[in-house]
Amino acid sequence: MERLLRDKKMILLFVGPAVLLFVCIILGPMIYGVALALFQWDGMSDPKFIGFDNFTFMFTQDVTFWVSFKNSIFFVIFSLISQQFLGLLTAIILTNNIKFKNLFKNIYYLPVVLSSAAVGLLWSFIFHPKIGVLNQLLLAIGVEGPKWLSEISGFLPLPLWCIGIVAAWQYMGSTMMLYMAAIQGIPESLYEAAYIDGASRIKCIRYITLPLITPMVKISTVLSCIGSLKFFDLIYTMTNGGPAHATEVLASHLYTRSFTQWEYGYGSALAIILVVLCLLFTFVLNKLVKVENYEM
Amino acid sequence: MASYEKNKSKFKVSKLIIYIVLTIFAVIYLYPLIWLIIAAFKTNNEIFLSAFGFPAELQWINFEKAWVAGHIGQYFLNSVIVVGTTLLVSLLVNCMAAYAIARMKWKLSGATMAMFLSGMMVPIHASLIPLFVWFSNLGLIDNYLSLIIPYIVFSFGQSIYIMRGFFGSLPREMEEAAVIDGCSLWGAFWKIIIPISTGGIFTIGLFTFNGTWNELLVAKIFTNSDSVRTLPVGLTTFVGPNMTNYGPMFAAIVIAVIPTIIVYCCLSNKIVGGLTAGAVKG
Repeated sequence: MERLLRDKKMILLFVGPAVLLFVCIILGPMIYGVALALFQWDGMSDPKFIGFDNFTFMFTQDVTFWVSFKNSIFFVIFSLISQQFLGLLTAIILTNNIKFKNLFKNIYYLPVVLSSAAVGLLWSFIFHPKIGVLNQLLLAIGVEGPKWLSEISGFLPLPLWCIGIVAAWQYMGSTMMLYMAAIQGIPESLYEAAYIDGASRIKCIRYITLPLITPMVKISTVLSCIGSLKFFDLIYTMTNGGPAHATEVLASHLYTRSFTQWEYGYGSALAIILVVLCLLFTFVLNKLVKVENYEM
Repeated sequence: MASYEKNKSKFKVSKLIIYIVLTIFAVIYLYPLIWLIIAAFKTNNEIFLSAFGFPAELQWINFEKAWVAGHIGQYFLNSVIVVGTTLLVSLLVNCMAAYAIARMKWKLSGATMAMFLSGMMVPIHASLIPLFVWFSNLGLIDNYLSLIIPYIVFSFGQSIYIMRGFFGSLPREMEEAAVIDGCSLWGAFWKIIIPISTGGIFTIGLFTFNGTWNELLVAKIFTNSDSVRTLPVGLTTFVGPNMTNYGPMFAAIVIAVIPTIIVYCCLSNKIVGGLTAGAVKG
């Protein structure tokens, strides 16, 4: 048996296809993309080597880059706060003895499995100034509602908040589920002991639940950050980056530049920024969230 | 936390508040979907008249218009082909790779797992442009394969991770007995390991189905004709706030979300179970 499990040919047969595919589709293109960022190329003529000019242009002249950068960071922070808070809160509530808790859990998780393109389109109709539910509700109490998705005044215009809320609506369930899994892994005996010692419910949450789920906090916040940075579907379907690029995020800016304006070199440079941001957030959160080990 | 419940009277008010909050949340979660389904059966006039009214007559014609004139039927078929093929191939490749990583003895198994996991951490945007150039040169753009191949790879990180945990928890005696009886490792894998791993395979299948059925960005970039477009892309070309034929648009959105809702309703407990199994080990 040992010999069979060390058989090089067998190992290659089992793992070879996956490694080959991964290298061809993800790793190879990614390395090629890093090189491409140093060129100016429209895909038709010969690529022209321009060194770091793509990055210089990005940082000094591309106004939309900074707008999309700001918006992406906004979505990271907004999603972090809204989804972690609501997800943790619902997870704590639903791990108690609550009637219909499975029903509630299933309802809150439902949007996670839906296509975000469909969700974005659906909400763009809910926010619709004329036929939308929101403005008709406001009209019923005598207020004329704003144009939710096309009002672009201010540093953080209204559409950003709307899209952020839709993102929270869609993805809160997945955060909740991660925390529920973590909370259910905590032994019941800890709570019983605390209860006998006279600890209140709030104290139990503060001193037992929260410390013991920090490993999950780490995973969940990293996933949320990366998800927000990749954010494309909702933007594309709800505002398409507009009006006047005010709601553009890094992923949508990259898409527009690369695949509607055919600037492959510049698009690759934007992709590098996106990857660096993902790694940076992962690194920072790993440092920030301290995981202590408890004997259980 | 059953021990809390002894103090019932004290917590009655706070419990009531919790139920009210949970119910308000549930309404916020369900109402948009219910609104969508009702709107899909209305005429344009009824939609303009009131967002809250019910249709006088169910407009099934909206679905027919979306399905035929809006090409949603074609997109649906494309999605089924792409997702079906992706599922079949990815389950096969993922199970084999996960088995090699979980059970076989080789130096690079840890590094290989880390490589697959890194694919989950780094956004796919970084490989999209070179991949697009490469696929264009191969003439693969606007072909089912240009979606199926990347989708298979996108499933690697999560699926291999979950299956590695699953295979790792199986008792070793199972393959050993088969091998001693004269079976090859290849044979033992297919005849012993795969049949007892249907639970794990089911879980990764659900995740892959869900991710692939809903994928927009790659499908948007790599397809440009109606005969290949999948549902999410087709939806964005047919539906938009600036178009005016509302009824069929709502019907199209309903058609796009119905399969995932049905799968979810039938299997929600398994999805949730699989998710937590993967998450705890994560």
